[in-house]
Parts: sequence; C-alpha cells; structure tokens
Amino acid sequence: MHTPAESRTAPRWIFWLLPILALAIPLATNPYTQFIINAMLIYTLVTLGFSVVIGNLGQLAFANTAFFGIGAYASAMAGNALGLPWLLTVPLAGLAGAAGGFLASAAALRGIRLYYLAIVTLAFGELMRWFYTHAGALTGGTDGLALDRGDIFGLQLNSDTVQFYIFLLLTTLLVAGTVNLLRSRLGRAIVAVRENEIATASLGIATSRIIVTAFVWSGFVVGIAGAMFALHTGRVFPESFGLTQLIINFAMVLVGGLGSVIGAVLGAVALTALPEYVRAFPGMEEIFFGVIVMVVLLVMPKGLASLLRRVSPIFHETHHRD
Amino acid sequence: MNSRAKQFGLAAVLALLAVNPAFADETTGITDDSISIGVMGPFSGNASSYSKAEIGLMAYYQMINDEGGIHGRKLVAIQEDTACDPAKAIAAAKKLIHQDKVFMLQGNSCSGAAVAIKPEVVDAGLPWIVAHAVSDTISTPPSANIFHGVPTGEANGNAMAAFVLSRPDTRNVAIIEHSNDWAHSYSNPARAYLKQQGIEPVLELVMERGQTDATAQVLKLKQAKPDFIIGALYEAETAIFLRDMKKYGLDTPVMGTAGTDLENTLKRVGDLDTVKNYFVVHPYVDNLDGPRMKKWADMIHKYYPDEELTNFSYIAIGSGVALVEALKSIGPDLDRAKLIAALDAIKDLDTGILSSPITWSADERRGVQGSAVAGFVDGKPTVLEAWQTPYQ
Amino acid sequence: MLMQLSIAGISQGAIYALIALSLTVIYRSTTIVSFGHGDFVMAGAFLAYILVIGLGFAFLPAGLLAIAAMFAIGIVFSRGLIRPIRGGPHIGLALMSISFGFALRGIARLVWGREVLPMPRVFDVDPIFVGSIIITGDAIFTIGIVAVLLAAFFILLHLTDIGKMVQAVYQSERGARLIGIDVSRFHDFSWGTGAALGAVGGVLIAPVSFLHPDLGASFLIKGFAAMTLGGFGSLGGSVIGGLLLGLAEQYAGAYLNTALIDITAYLLIILVLLIRPRGLFGRKVVIKV
Repeated sequence: MHTPAESRTAPRWIFWLLPILALAIPLATNPYTQFIINAMLIYTLVTLGFSVVIGNLGQLAFANTAFFGIGAYASAMAGNALGLPWLLTVPLAGLAGAAGGFLASAAALRGIRLYYLAIVTLAFGELMRWFYTHAGALTGGTDGLALDRGDIFGLQLNSDTVQFYIFLLLTTLLVAGTVNLLRSRLGRAIVAVRENEIATASLGIATSRIIVTAFVWSGFVVGIAGAMFALHTGRVFPESFGLTQLIINFAMVLVGGLGSVIGAVLGAVALTALPEYVRAFPGMEEIFFGVIVMVVLLVMPKGLASLLRRVSPIFHETHHRD
Repeated sequence: MNSRAKQFGLAAVLALLAVNPAFADETTGITDDSISIGVMGPFSGNASSYSKAEIGLMAYYQMINDEGGIHGRKLVAIQEDTACDPAKAIAAAKKLIHQDKVFMLQGNSCSGAAVAIKPEVVDAGLPWIVAHAVSDTISTPPSANIFHGVPTGEANGNAMAAFVLSRPDTRNVAIIEHSNDWAHSYSNPARAYLKQQGIEPVLELVMERGQTDATAQVLKLKQAKPDFIIGALYEAETAIFLRDMKKYGLDTPVMGTAGTDLENTLKRVGDLDTVKNYFVVHPYVDNLDGPRMKKWADMIHKYYPDEELTNFSYIAIGSGVALVEALKSIGPDLDRAKLIAALDAIKDLDTGILSSPITWSADERRGVQGSAVAGFVDGKPTVLEAWQTPYQ
Repeated sequence: MLMQLSIAGISQGAIYALIALSLTVIYRSTTIVSFGHGDFVMAGAFLAYILVIGLGFAFLPAGLLAIAAMFAIGIVFSRGLIRPIRGGPHIGLALMSISFGFALRGIARLVWGREVLPMPRVFDVDPIFVGSIIITGDAIFTIGIVAVLLAAFFILLHLTDIGKMVQAVYQSERGARLIGIDVSRFHDFSWGTGAALGAVGGVLIAPVSFLHPDLGASFLIKGFAAMTLGGFGSLGGSVIGGLLLGLAEQYAGAYLNTALIDITAYLLIILVLLIRPRGLFGRKVVIKV
C-alpha cells in the first residue's frame, strides 16, 4: 500500500522524460511502424478522454467515439470548406468535441444515467454517423472527406515523422493538462461525484457544474484527437466512427486501467499494437482481441497500470479507480 | 518549456532530414526465384465475404508457381488484412511497402479502403493492380502506377442501366441500396446513365445492412409501380428483399450488382420463383457452374479445398492473368518500371474468365470497360448481353 | 398499407422483444446488461445449423439442443469469466461480455466465416391471407413464443418464490446471501437462462435474417433499445418497447423515408428518455457503475 503522502513526494518530473525520450523514436522506425506509433498517440487521447468520463466521473457515457468523429469531421470540413490549414483546425476540432461533450452532459443532468445514459450517448454517436453519411457534399457522404494536408512551416504534413512530432506535442500537453485537472480541487470533486453524488452536493459543491466540466474536457481532448486522426489517415469516413471503434476505445480504457492516466497510455499502446501483431494470422483478429481483453480483465482487473503501481509509488494516482 | 520547445525544433529539423524519401529501388521485392506481391483484403470483419476474391487470386498464383513460375520466379503473396477499414488498410499498405518491401500490390476488395491507401501507393510508386474494389476514383484520373483490373463502378453501373433499358418499354426505374460507398459506386453511374437517356428514378429507397425486413420498401415500390428496380444490396439483404417482394406479390424485375450472384442467391432464398426476375452484373464468360468456369473453380479448390465459391471467388483472377502475361513479356530482367510499361502494353487481352477484355494505357487505367449480366432463363442461370439476349 | 405495415412492425417488434426479454432476465437477476448478447443469439443459431445440416438432426431437437448448449455456455461464461470479476466495476463486466461475444463472432467467422447461409425454418407454415393482408408463419410463431415466454417469466417472477429470490438478489446481494441464497449459483443460472433465451431468438431469427456471423450485432442494438424504451428491468416494458420499435421503424420507413429505418431506434430513445429518463416503465436503479 502506498499512502498519498508517499506519492506526493515521488519525483513526478521523471514523467517528463517520457516525451523527451520519445523524440528519438523516428530514428528507429519505418513509415509503417511510425504510422502505428502515431496512432498510439492519438488513441492515448481518445482513451484518456473516455476514461475521464467513465473512470473518474463514473458516468456510463459512450459518446466518446462520437466526439472523436466530430473532431475529425470538424477538422476535415474546416479544411475543405473554409480552406484553413490543418493546424488552425485543431482548436476548432477541440471546441466541436467540447460542444459534443456539453450535449452529452446535458443528458446526464436531465437525469438520464447508467445504462440509459449509455444508450443515449451511443444513439448520439450513431446519429452523428448517419449525418456524415447523408449530409452530401458537406461531409463527402460515404466516400469520405479528403484532407488537403499541406505543410506547416515548410514541413510536409503527409510525412509520418512530422505528424509524430506534432502529435507528441499535442498529446503531451493534453495529458499534462488532464493530470493537472484531475489533481486540482476540481478533479477531486469529479472523483467525489463518482463516489457519492448526493454527499458531494450536500457539501455545497455544484455537482452539475462538475459533471459538465468533466464531459466538456473529455470532448475537447477527444475532439483534438479527432483532428489528429483526420491528418493521420488523410481522409475521414463515417465508418471509422462506428460501434467497432467504440468497443476498441472502451477496451483500451479498461485494459489500461479505469480512471488512470498512465493506464490510458498503456491501454492505447497495447491495443493499437495488438492488431498489428495479429496481422500474421489473417482472420484471427476478433478472436485474439476478445480473448486477450478477457484475460486482462481476469488477471489484472485494474488494468495494466496496476502492474506499474506495484513496481513503484510514483505510478500511484489519487484519482484512479480501485 | 522553453528548452522543450528548442528540443522540439531540433527534432523537427532532424525529422525533416529523415523523411527525405530514399530513392525507391526498382527491383525491391524481387529475388532470382521470387516476386513478392502484397495482397490486401478484408480477411476479417463484416465484409470478409469479399476476401474470397483474394483467395481466388492467391490460388491463381499457386497454380502459376506449380507450372514453374515466370522466368524461374515464383509469385509469393504476402497477405494483409484491411478489414475494409481505411485506417487498417493504410497500416497494411505501409507495412507491405516499407517493412515487407514487396515488389508490387494486387488485390483490395473495398473501395473505401482502396481510396484511403491511394496517396500512400502513389507516393511509393510501386505497381498496384486493383483486383476487386470498383470505385472509379481509384484509377481516375490515372496515376503512374495504378491499374484497375476489374470492371469499375462506371462499367458496372452502365451495364446495369443498359440492361434495364434493353427491356422494351422500361420507363419507370426505382433504386434501392445501402447507404455506403460500395452501393453508391454502382448506383451513381447507373443514375448518370439513366439520366443521359432522360430517365429519372421514380423512387429512391434505402435498405441498410442488418435490416431483416423490407416491408416498408416493398410496399412503397408497389405503389410506385416501377418497370425495373435497381438493387445495390449485399448478399443477406438481397435475399431478404427478394423474399419480401415475393411475400407481398411484387414481381418487378430487379437488377443487382456483382456483389451477389444468381446461384448463391437462389440457394439462400430456396425457391426459383423468388429469384426468377433477379438479374446481376456478371463479369464472367460463363455461369459460375458453366463449363468455361469449371477450370477456375477446380483451381481454387485444388489449393483451398474447403472454400465455398461465390461470385467474388473469381473476380480477381482476370487481373492475375494480365499480370502473368505482362511478367512473361518482360523476360527475366524485371523491374517496376518495366512492369508498368508491360501492363500498359496489354491490349484487348482475353483473360478467359472476364467477359470483357483488359486494355491498359497510360491515360486509361480502367482496364475492363464492360460487364455482362446474368439472369435465369428457363430456370437456369444464363449470361446475357441484353434483355432476353444470351451472351455470345 | 397501414395494416400490412403494422403487422410487419409487430412481427419485427416481436423479435426485438425476444432479445429484450432475454436481456431483461439477465439484468433483473444480475444487474448486468449483456452487451455480448447479439453473439449469443448468433451462436445459438449456428449451433442449430450445425446440428441440422452437419449432423442431420431434425429441426426441433436441433433447436432444443442448441438452446441447451447455450444454457451451458451461459453458465460456463458466468462461472469462469463473470464471477471472478464480479466485485469490480460494472463496466468491466460489460466489457467482459462484449469481448466474449467478439471471440464467439471471430470463431464463427473462422469456421464458416465468409458465407451467408440459408437457415431452414422451424415450422414451415404457409403464410395466411386475411383479405389482402399477409401474415407469415414465422411471424405467428415468433409472436406466439414471445407471448408464452412473457407469461412464463411473469408468473415466475411475480407469483413464485424464485421471483422473490430474484427481487432479493436485485435489491441487495449481501442481504440475499444473509438469508441463505447462493447468489453465485443464482447468477450462473440466470446467465444460462439468458443465453438460452438468446439461442431461442437465434433459432427464430436466422430463418428470417439468414445466417452469418454478424447477424446478432444489429439485433443486440434493437433489443437494447427496446429494453431502454420499456425501462430496464421491466418484462412487460421490454416487450412493449420491442413492439413499439418494430412499428415505429415500419411507419418511419413507409411514411417518411426509408433512410430513417436504421436510426428510428436512436431517435425514439432520445425522444422517450428526454421526457422520461427511466423509460416508459422503468424503476429506480440501485447499481453503481
């Protein structure tokens, strides 16, 4: 057992070594492995945003795949319709995702909770996908919307390496931002709502504001991940934001460790890498995915992050879900 | 933060150096006794029935190999799953190109996935023969290294619309389809063709994947009374739609895509009466169980004994024949540029399996410009050129 | 047209109701929503298919055997995969059932994978004509089964001791344990029952939907939607929700636009839940995520 006091004195700065060391990754990759690593960075944010809502806030909302799609389409549409360079579409995608988060939180505040919230948010995601499919030229319909990736300060954005450095920066900033949010008074209130909403309210904390904040932040983070995904694949399709995507995102959260920031990274990395290893066995992907997730749930129900917590107190997070 | 920013800048400069593409080696993926070919297809996921095309193609490679290969080289397929998912397909393409370092690519069943990998393949410059996906966007405008070896959506859509109009007194046409890129790649060219002939569809309907009832659609069709229905639906939904038409007593002829075939549709619905007015795009020289297709069926079963054969099983083989033809013409001294030139030299090639010949040139890479149609004549699947007109 | 649409809507709705009913049975006794249920449905249908086509069984014994086999699979699933993580967060349990379903689907795809197979009918009855209205044998059969099951579970839950046990476990597992109920075995049994009901669904649906590994996926969503509309935990609610959804889909498709059929469930859910956050007949839920 590690006490909170112990974890507070732990040298957290060493976490900053991670992105710094990661700067060297492109030296060891080819465009394929780099592409996969870039996907890991994107999914780290998707998982993190999802985990904030289902892990930290404790709401069974499945709208994160919708936020992901909203971000991706916002980026691609802003690029196409307004001619904005990709970098400027990133904050727009974040805002669009945050707006989606706000809508989802409105459902929760309306008293739609638990499985009801799960299906309402799932319905929201599927309606968005229907919209992308049927909105004609605006979204490119089923043919998808291609991105003119262009360049940024002379660096070609279709290069996986250039994308990597941008993604690394964005992911690092948003992960750090989320950690700070969760460690703040607000973050503790988010966890308090999860543990006991009524008791939290009785302490004079405006729980509805807490719920809105958590959803909006989640939508913002995942919306930016959507913009990254649009750049990553160069073309956005409605099918990329369906139920399969949702299940994979969901699995990433739990395999990594519910409500844990470290877990979000681990879950995203592990389940992005897995299908690539399974490539050697065509047609086996679903079985591998199903079996491996089941094994993780059985053997380490608190996710991969719980392994690290056993190794050192610095991996202890006050807000993760035990 | 400041030092991090500096480090970031430094790294970005390093990255810039790193990304300068090395000159693509023209003979990557060839050894003295092998040519490695990346074969991408949806081997998993809910479109996996399409991967029968890649199985057929790989059986063809094996047959060529058993016959001694080409100039001493065997065709070695490296199979990659796309699951019909664009992001997965991009990863697969990058893996084949940059890690497995294949000589060329052949295969690809899903248009969305194929369109998504196109920029990657164009950049890499290796020859890519699209052997199943139909979207015209893949090969128009032509790219230096992309060849389309199946009838494209336009060829199919035209064939569908032309057949529909070849029936005397066809005035009212209705369309029913899935809301996906696959269905649109058939229906949009068919719409365009009809429009040229001054015909606007009287009714446009949607039946999504997974729907198990078509009552609403069929009742609407009954009211609109079309002379012909164009149906771009997958296997299960086609069977459900035809069954519900029969149930509600609607016997309008239906023109389907190459996504279904007569033999298996009949097997699914179980009685001839339900399918007797169903027609499909049929890009082959003979019925699936006809004598001219038998050697291909036997070939696939030789290498994949348990494979159930459908329309998809044969679709990629024609482009395989063209590839072998081109490789043979080059001689033992092979490289990518030579292959591209040799493919462009293919004119009017009768593949012995596709109903239309393959012709490629630098400015038209949609190699197969036509498709036949099949329908039941006297209870037997028959290849047709036009309404009540058998092929050849 | 309205009559014919209504009949089609009710027969589709009966299928949704059947799925919703099997989900409700599991939920009522374990407070878990079986998110992998679509694949139980699919697996039940595939098992029946193997027995009929592969091993030459007659349909009825094959169907019953498949249902029994799924009952066993449900118990094994509960014992081996749910029981060990029962104390953990609820969404872990949800993911467990999703993953199990994924694996089942993967296996089905690997073995029969890339085909769409015709499934023989349980009872091949000719359709009935009432004036110009057509009612198929499948529809009558499905509606009949749903009615019987609803009645059976209603009696079981409201008029027997088992019903009191279900209620006790639902209210408080610890309390139930204190009064001597073997909660774990009870849960195993509930999963078995739910999976068996899923198989009933599969055997009835597959002749209509054709047999392929993905056949369960869309039915799960519809069943889930039906259950939500009715209110989680309510048997009657899930059946009414199913019928309502079936009808709404037909009306939306025929009178508005066929492109809406696919999202009718979602629109209906959002509409109903915004007005009544716990569905039409839902009760207060006691579980924590």
